[in-house]
Amino acid sequence: MDIRLQGVSKIFPPDIRALEDVYLSIPQGEFVYLVGTTGSGKTTLLRLISREAQITRGQIYAGSYNLKKIPTLSLAIYRRDIGVVFQDFKLLPDLTVMENVAFVLEVIGVPPREISERVGEVLERVGMWRRRFLRPPQLSGGEQQRVAIARAVINSPAVLLADEPTGNLDTRTAEDIMQLLLSINASGSTVIMATHNKYLVDAYRQRVVELRAGRIVRDEKRGRYDVDGDF
Amino acid sequence: MGTFRYALRDAFRLLGRHWGLALLTLVTATAVFFLVGGSALLVVNTSRLVARVEGELVIHAFLKSDKNMEALREKVRQYPGVAEVREVTPAEAMDRLKKSIQNQAQALEILGENPLPPSLEIRVERAQDVPGVARDLLTLSSVDDVVYPGALASRLARVSRVVVEFSLVILIIAVTASALVLFNTIRIAVYSKKEEISVMLLVGATPSFVAMPFVLQGMILGVAGAAGALGLLGGAYRALVGGVETSVPFLEMVKDPDLLARLGLILVGVGMTVGWVSSWLAVDRFIRRALRPI
Repeated sequence: MDIRLQGVSKIFPPDIRALEDVYLSIPQGEFVYLVGTTGSGKTTLLRLISREAQITRGQIYAGSYNLKKIPTLSLAIYRRDIGVVFQDFKLLPDLTVMENVAFVLEVIGVPPREISERVGEVLERVGMWRRRFLRPPQLSGGEQQRVAIARAVINSPAVLLADEPTGNLDTRTAEDIMQLLLSINASGSTVIMATHNKYLVDAYRQRVVELRAGRIVRDEKRGRYDVDGDF
Repeated sequence: MGTFRYALRDAFRLLGRHWGLALLTLVTATAVFFLVGGSALLVVNTSRLVARVEGELVIHAFLKSDKNMEALREKVRQYPGVAEVREVTPAEAMDRLKKSIQNQAQALEILGENPLPPSLEIRVERAQDVPGVARDLLTLSSVDDVVYPGALASRLARVSRVVVEFSLVILIIAVTASALVLFNTIRIAVYSKKEEISVMLLVGATPSFVAMPFVLQGMILGVAGAAGALGLLGGAYRALVGGVETSVPFLEMVKDPDLLARLGLILVGVGMTVGWVSSWLAVDRFIRRALRPI
C-alpha cells in the first residue's frame, strides 16, 4: 500500500498550523523515520494517515483509499491494514497479554482456532509467549511495547505507524524494539516511525523525513538524525 | 456466528463488571414492567367487564302498531352500533309481565284485552352507542316511545375511557422510565470501556461490532426485567383471581391462558425493544463521536 500526501495542511482551531503544504510519497515496504522537534507535526502526520485526524487541505491516498472522503465502513476495512504503536502502549489493563493481542482478530471476526494459532506465532516472534497470561500492569515498559507491537502486527498490516515507540524505554530495550520493527519491515510492511531517538536513527540508517513547524525540511535516503534545536 | 458469540461474551462481561448497577437496573426494570403488565391486565379485565355489561344493555322501542314490524326491524338493524334487533309481540310482552309479577299475574285478567304495545328490543355493540341509537329511533313515525338505560350507558362509557386513558399514561411513564434507566446503565458501561472502544475502532472494528455487546446488554436487561415482572405478575394475578372468585363470585376475571400468554409475550417483547432502542441510542452517539476525526 503506497501512501501519498499531496499538499496536505492541518490546521487546528483557532489557527494552529500543525502541518503546512506537505508532499510526501512512501512506497510499500519502506522504513521511514519522522524526525523533528516536539510540535513539529510528526504525530499529526501519523494521525492523518490512521485517519484519527482529518486534513484541512490537500489529499492523502493510501493504496486505493482517498482518506479525505473515506466512508465509515471503508475506514474500518482500511484500518485493518494499518497497525498503530503508541508511546504509551494503549494496552487494555484488564486483559492478559494474549487477550490484548487476540482482541484485534476477534473484532474483525477471525475464527477462534485461527486466532489462537496466530496469537501464538506473533507472541513467539516478539518474545512474549512465556508472559502471555500476565496483564499489562505486571509487565515492564519494554514488554508492554512488545505486546503493543504484537497487537499492531498480528493482522499483517501493510503499514505500521509507530509514534515514539521507544520514547519511554532504556537504550537496550529501545534497541530490541528497533530490531523487532526492522524485522517487521523486512517481512514486507511499511514502517513509519516518529522518533526523537538519535542513537537509533544513526545506528540503523533508513529514509529520514524531517519536519519543522509543520513543513518537510529534509527527506533523505539513509539519512542521519541531525535535528536542529532538539534536546 | 463468531461475532455474535464474542458480543454475547462481552455483554455478560459488562454485566459482571458493573453487577451492582446491572442489579439495580434489573430491579427497576422489573418494577416498571410490573406496572406495565399490571395496567395491561387492568385494561383487559375492565374491557371484559364493560363488554359483558354492554351486552346486557337493551333499548326498548315501543311501536304504535304491529304493521310493517319486519321492515322496521331490518331498518333499525342497519343503524351503526346496533348488534341485534328482536321483535316482541304484545302476547310475548304479556307473558314476560306475568312471569315477572308471578303471584299477582291473575290481577292482569281484569284488564281484559292486552294493552301492551308491540316493541323492538335492540342490543348495541358498545355502551356509547346507546344514546345515538335511541335518538334515531325517536325520529321514526312508527315509534311511540323509547326506553333506554342512558345514565348507565354513559357511566360505562366513561369508566371504560378513563381506564384506557389511565393505563395509557401509566404505560408511557413506565416505558419512558425504563428506557431512561437502561440508557444510563448502558452509557456508564460505554464510558467504562472508552479506551477499549477507541482501540477497537483503531484496529478496524465496525461501529455495529463495537455497539453489539452494549445493545445485547441492554436487551438482556430489558428481557430479564420483563421476565421478572411477568413472574411476579403471574403470582400476584393468580392470587387476585382466587381472592375475587371466593369473595366476589359474580365478578368474572380473565383467565383465558392464550390471552395471558400473549400478554406475557408482548411484555417480554416490549422489554426487549426498550432495551434495544435505549442501548443503541446510548452507544451510537458515543461511537459517532469517537469516529469523528479531530
